[in-house]
Amino acid sequence: MSEARDIPGLDELTAALADRRARSVAMGGTERIAQQHARHKLTARERIHLLFDADTFVEFGVLAHQHSMTGAVTEPERTPADGVITGEGLIDGRRVYCAAYDFTVMAGSMGMIGEQKVARLRRKAMLNRLPMIWLLDSAGARIQEAAGSTFAGSGALFFEQVQMSGVVPQVAAMLGPCAAGTAYIPGLADFVPMVKDTSSMSLGGARLVKAATGEETTDHDMGGSQVHCYVSGVGDLEVDDDPACITAVRDYLSYLPSNNREAAPRRQTSDRRDRRIDDLEKIVPTNPRAAYDMRKVVKRLADDGQVFEVKPTFARNIITALVHFNGQSAGIVASQPMIKGGALDIDAADKAARFVWLCDAFNVPLVFLQDVPGFIVGTEVEKQGIIRHGAKMLYAVSEATVPKVTVVLRKAYGAGYYVMCGRGYEPDTLVAWPTAEVSVMGPEGAVDIIFTKQIAAADDPAAARAEYAAAIRQTIDPFIAASWAMIDDIIDPADTRRVIIDALEGAETKRQRRAWRKHGVPPV
Amino acid sequence: MTEVKAELVGNLWKIVVEVGQAVEEDDTLMILESMKMEIPITTPTSGTVQQILVAEGEVVQEGQTVAVID
Repeated sequence: MSEARDIPGLDELTAALADRRARSVAMGGTERIAQQHARHKLTARERIHLLFDADTFVEFGVLAHQHSMTGAVTEPERTPADGVITGEGLIDGRRVYCAAYDFTVMAGSMGMIGEQKVARLRRKAMLNRLPMIWLLDSAGARIQEAAGSTFAGSGALFFEQVQMSGVVPQVAAMLGPCAAGTAYIPGLADFVPMVKDTSSMSLGGARLVKAATGEETTDHDMGGSQVHCYVSGVGDLEVDDDPACITAVRDYLSYLPSNNREAAPRRQTSDRRDRRIDDLEKIVPTNPRAAYDMRKVVKRLADDGQVFEVKPTFARNIITALVHFNGQSAGIVASQPMIKGGALDIDAADKAARFVWLCDAFNVPLVFLQDVPGFIVGTEVEKQGIIRHGAKMLYAVSEATVPKVTVVLRKAYGAGYYVMCGRGYEPDTLVAWPTAEVSVMGPEGAVDIIFTKQIAAADDPAAARAEYAAAIRQTIDPFIAASWAMIDDIIDPADTRRVIIDALEGAETKRQRRAWRKHGVPPV
Repeated sequence: MTEVKAELVGNLWKIVVEVGQAVEEDDTLMILESMKMEIPITTPTSGTVQQILVAEGEVVQEGQTVAVID
């Protein structure tokens, strides 16, 4: 018979467990949580609650806390979950992994244990081929644990993100600061929504910038959404607050499969596949020099008028948007004549190339709506490298093997016609409206090149020039392209939605394999 | 005081406002002819046109200030 000892019963043990768990779930305590709310931010656990379908979140590592190999004093009581909540759950019934940095615990700084937890999530995301979401609200690396040359062993997180790229969707939601090297997390993610005013990202935080270069700035001035969603293009969508950000993450994922081996999702719609759009002619002027808002066209074509624009405030001369056509998710790349006449520049080429790569990686078909006067020309854009940026867009569109449908609404000039998936770029269907103008360049540009001598020799050069230009204009006619069967059809604009849906359905079984190569050498 | 800048290089085709005129945000101030298009230059703020710094027929550079609104 055993000696009587003070062995706790299971009731006592589970009570102790519940107590530890409760302390961890309480995050940085009521005071810090109040501060978080005062900054108009939700806590990491409130964000997780909004992100996942009810009662589906399963947490890993809730009982973890700070440790240090360097002998630094650690504070287990003050570092619940070591400042990052990690786990899995369902979004619209589909499983995803999520790491939510907890700003109430040491400013969400990235400590050794917390990063081991996130590394485990990345591995699970790859093993199970499921999306990875970061909810970022973090001061960056926890310097007191990391300073010094043990840095030599760090950095694998970005290497792993690169391996995940194009295999599983990656979303980095910016809900607070994300300073220093950790800004490469959004830098490598596919989709980066940013909360206005409260979020920021920069390779060096304001204090580091001051120390390194002497420049005076703030994290917000340097890396807020007003910079990244409008100027730099690192951010994909500016949102007003935390709930709007979480909604954007859920919406974005609804257009994508869970990994690159799955088909893009379909959903039910009551929008008729053959719905005619009779007011398009009121939106799109037949005068080719007049501008209009292409977003109105996109909205009318998409199922139920629902459009999820990516980078709506960056490079607005091109529109990139996720939509559904008869229930099938699809990506739209559309010229925007309202901004810069719809002409392409370096930012527009970057924006479109990235979007095409995203859609192609995840089996999302592409629809191109062309009204493009070409690439902007001149000394300024050459200094900016318009050739390599334009080449990048050509590259992305050429590489894409998903179903591709092209509609020429009006202008399709020069390389603009190529990069927007002209005939040479393997569109499964290419149609034009009767208003289409496909040509290497406009009559005004062509006339001075083709008829220089004749115009110079004429008695009335201005009249001669006008006459030659009129003659060239006669040759810019979609029926000529159709008569050579270079375009598949000329359609009634009102039927555009049905034509796109027919084309996408016709290409559903498309299988295209390119020649083997390790990888191409894409222009950047 | 807001400086209105041209978004891209082009020929200034038409000026549609006058100095002293009141304008609303997004009103067209002038029209550029560039890339085969008539491209409106609009004001980002409401106010009064203080200065017009270009003339019709002139070539305007990207980023050039074309008007001042106050």
